[in-house]
Amino acid sequence: MGEVEKTFLSGLHEKLVEDKVIDESQLEPGFAKEIVEYGGKDVMTCLQCGNCTGVCPISLKIDYKIRSIIKFCQFGLKKFTLGTRWVCATCYRCYEHCPADINPAEVMIALRHMAIREGVIPPFIKVAATNLVKYGQSVKPDLEIEKIRKELELEDVPSRAMEYAKVIREINVLVHAAGYDKLIGIEKEVKA
Amino acid sequence: MTKYAYFFGCIIPNRYPGIEYAVRWVCGKEGYGLDVKDIKEFSCCPVPGIFYSSDKNTWLLLASRNLVLGQKERREILTVCNGCLTSLLKATEYLKDPKRLGKVNRTLAQIGKKYTGIPRKTEGRRRIMEPVKVRHYVDVMTDDIGLEDIQKHTTRPLNNIRAATHYGCHYLRPTENQTIDDPNDPVKIDKIIEACGATSVDYDDKLDCCGAGGGVRSHVVELANSLTEDKCRNIAAAGADCIVTGCPFCLLQFDNAQKAFTKDGIPVMHVSQLQALAMGIDPISLGFDTHHVSAHSFLRKLRGV
Repeated sequence: MGEVEKTFLSGLHEKLVEDKVIDESQLEPGFAKEIVEYGGKDVMTCLQCGNCTGVCPISLKIDYKIRSIIKFCQFGLKKFTLGTRWVCATCYRCYEHCPADINPAEVMIALRHMAIREGVIPPFIKVAATNLVKYGQSVKPDLEIEKIRKELELEDVPSRAMEYAKVIREINVLVHAAGYDKLIGIEKEVKA
Repeated sequence: MTKYAYFFGCIIPNRYPGIEYAVRWVCGKEGYGLDVKDIKEFSCCPVPGIFYSSDKNTWLLLASRNLVLGQKERREILTVCNGCLTSLLKATEYLKDPKRLGKVNRTLAQIGKKYTGIPRKTEGRRRIMEPVKVRHYVDVMTDDIGLEDIQKHTTRPLNNIRAATHYGCHYLRPTENQTIDDPNDPVKIDKIIEACGATSVDYDDKLDCCGAGGGVRSHVVELANSLTEDKCRNIAAAGADCIVTGCPFCLLQFDNAQKAFTKDGIPVMHVSQLQALAMGIDPISLGFDTHHVSAHSFLRKLRGV
């Protein structure tokens, strides 16, 4: 963690602004509200108790402190929340232990929504979304596995059935109606 | 008798067909003879780590579409995966909000579908609706079938097997309002293991995450694997012969990650596969050859070799 972040977390953000370490224009007062719009809870009620970080399995492995993220959200210091948006395993342990009932995992999910809308789309999202509109499932069928299904006398995977074309059409209608195809940039090769 | 509809999701049919075989076998005529049907129009649940994380509107529409299919058949949706459970269960909670429901139904109308829930009873002229029920395989086994019946069906007790349970986060905390087991002291899978005659071994940090969820496996696989490594170290220290889980995604993570840090690895299986073994199935039908970690050591011990 950088010096700026450390000092900030000790509660001296006014001093940081005063000393011009951070620019006041970096503080986005509407940030907390935006999180609520994307389905997160009000981060302003966070007590900074640190329970969430204490139980977070990811925090043991990398420099990722969910409590800090919540604090940055309170002050609208968006840039400090950018690097770790996709490392939360959404195990919801933080939620289980949060006395303020904030559900930090849902805050991370709201931050991910913002990232997507800013055009930061991790490739795996595109892959899964493309599989979905193509096969109706997020995992691509595998020929080897399909051979084993035959040996086990299981029916073919659903996406192989003729009638499944209707399902894929329906999925495409919904994905299009929600504007998801545009949002994620799913390739247009998928006419079932 | 409760009526169910299979919901296998994406990973089981496309990566671990042995689980599908085991579940069908345990629920079918060789096993408990449940009234359970295939609904072929089911799609991806959709995956919470991808769709719930990137656009909740799309996620809710696709989940609602699946719920409508269950509603049409008036069946409980029997999920075999923690991800499917959390995604569909959460959707039923979202749809309790009339404003959201209206919006979803306006879009669903484009494909000729409407979510209403299932009528429970009539009060005067009003029909009282309840959400489509979404169940987890483990929950159905312990609550609907019961441990006594599981014990009765155990024709080949797995007496010498020591199994380590991994529950998985979304089994413990599927939504904010609903749980299917005690999130801090879950027992259901352990009890199934014991009803099958095996010993469920305790190990350090048993309730820890496998590391794969929320897109972490797809985004930074090393991070996911290092969490799995910690778990596997604890499981090995407890002297377990196998890892038993109720979630195919956790299973996939254990099965794939172990390649990264060990040569042998601990075999990992779905709770339905263990159950089928205790009910006398031929192990060859359980598709263990699609697992990356060989189940050879486990099966040898089972045969008492």
